[in-house]
Amino acid sequence: MLYSKKKIALVDCNSFYVSCERLFSPSIIKKPVVVLSSNDGCVISRSTEAKVLGIKMGEPYFKVKKIIKENDVKTFSTNFSLYGDISRRVMKTLKQFSPQMEIYSIDEAFLDLSSIKDEDLLEHGCEIRRVVLKWTGIPTSIGIATTKTLSKAANYIAKKEKSGVVDLINSKQIDKLLKEIKISDVWGVGRQLTKFYIGNKINTAYDLKNMHNGWIKKNTNVFGSRTAMELKGIPCISLEPHQEKRESCCVSRSFGKKVIKLEELSEAITTHCLNAAEKIRLDNQTVKRITVFIRTSPFQVNKNYYANSKNIDLPIKTNDSIALIKQALIALEYIYKKGYQYQKTGVIFSGLKDVDVYNRNLFSTINNEEKRIKLMKAIDYTNIKYGRHALSIAQAGFKKKWNTKRNFSSQINTTCFNFLPTVRIS
Amino acid sequence: MKVLLPFHLNKVGAGFPSPATDYVEDDIDLNVHLIKNIPSTFLIRVQGKSMNNVGIHDGDLLLVDRSLNPKNFSTIVANVNEELVVKTFIKEKNQSFLTSESEKLNNKINLGKNPEIFIWGVVTYVIHAL
Repeated sequence: MLYSKKKIALVDCNSFYVSCERLFSPSIIKKPVVVLSSNDGCVISRSTEAKVLGIKMGEPYFKVKKIIKENDVKTFSTNFSLYGDISRRVMKTLKQFSPQMEIYSIDEAFLDLSSIKDEDLLEHGCEIRRVVLKWTGIPTSIGIATTKTLSKAANYIAKKEKSGVVDLINSKQIDKLLKEIKISDVWGVGRQLTKFYIGNKINTAYDLKNMHNGWIKKNTNVFGSRTAMELKGIPCISLEPHQEKRESCCVSRSFGKKVIKLEELSEAITTHCLNAAEKIRLDNQTVKRITVFIRTSPFQVNKNYYANSKNIDLPIKTNDSIALIKQALIALEYIYKKGYQYQKTGVIFSGLKDVDVYNRNLFSTINNEEKRIKLMKAIDYTNIKYGRHALSIAQAGFKKKWNTKRNFSSQINTTCFNFLPTVRIS
Repeated sequence: MKVLLPFHLNKVGAGFPSPATDYVEDDIDLNVHLIKNIPSTFLIRVQGKSMNNVGIHDGDLLLVDRSLNPKNFSTIVANVNEELVVKTFIKEKNQSFLTSESEKLNNKINLGKNPEIFIWGVVTYVIHAL
């Protein structure tokens, strides 16, 4: 063999948001549970029991309300402070099993297990699963294979297995399993590509694996070709253990109620700017360009749709909240139109660069820049210590009537002193 | 985990340099000493009655480590009747039981006979405000 064989495991948390909610609420462990997206709009996580009831992923809440009521399905709004902390715990636990690890999403990670002997892989996978469950309370599924795409496929099968672990290394079953996976469920095959493949009678992962590479290259692109090669067992997508610093930072929310007034939009934009600015300061970065966008609901019939965005290039890069808010509000006024019912707004900071210590003061438009840097540090420190928005800017508003609806939040936060989970003494 | 570094060890001044400079240690970080396993340790608040025999009171904070296995007389958090509660774990002749102060000893829960009850974690420290 020319290259040393890679052994990649994909660890995926089962119904992650639901599992987080269940961690401190044993009463919902065997019951149907769903978690709704922001503004309690759509179902974004379902327990196995809820799946059995026929509740589909991404379905709007109003459509499944009847099923939820009739079957007493426990319903939660998202609680990302909790999910974020549990995710970090899962990732820290996984890190002990392999220094080479790529955090792929809030509930998935690729681990390089190339150093484990082939015959020990299945047992090793079971051990990872056991430890993550014991330490964090989160059930997982693990797929092991020679490429990332195959490990995704193995994971897809593992989700249905009782053991929760599927090892495809040296497996003679690969083709049989790939025949069970619909082309739309193959990692890296999006909606457009699915349509194209089905039109060409490629219906399963197995069909794609057996297509001639020349044909795929000619008809799709380099990514399509990589996916097919990976299904054949040739690694084309490498593990990315180091998280790259972000190049842009977007904060956006849909409103809990429709917003008409410029003042309320300004409050929302200010709040989003504060959140985004805090994030980039934590990474020691500065902003070159601000984009502000607003839009009305695309689903409202008989009402005019309006969406617009505005970029502002800053003459000097900065991460000062006050300076950024000033520019963002100028952009907002530029695109705001009276008479529309706005549903969503957001800011994007882009052109992010590391803070340059050497020419910070040259040409600065902020008076007394040293003091302002200290002020931002003080704000960040206060907010980390006493909770988000403990120290804010009056422009961000106090009542925030437009705030996202979260009617069914569990309110538990394992990282906030005032919302810790509780136990009783009987 | 945060690492706090002492910043200005000693100003370059006119006087005699502090003889303690070489011995400057970090501030004590309770996280380091009280939490052995970060990803598996949770901070949980006690609500309700007290458990005087182990010194746990209403409103106290518990450090609960899920990665530990309970030993005889460990204070643990368990799922009993669909609720997280604090109990004492007892081992007797290959059998495991859960008890609490208010219950008489013959009222203890036999874990082997109640498979739906599971141990959530082991309490490692109590933080009690005076």
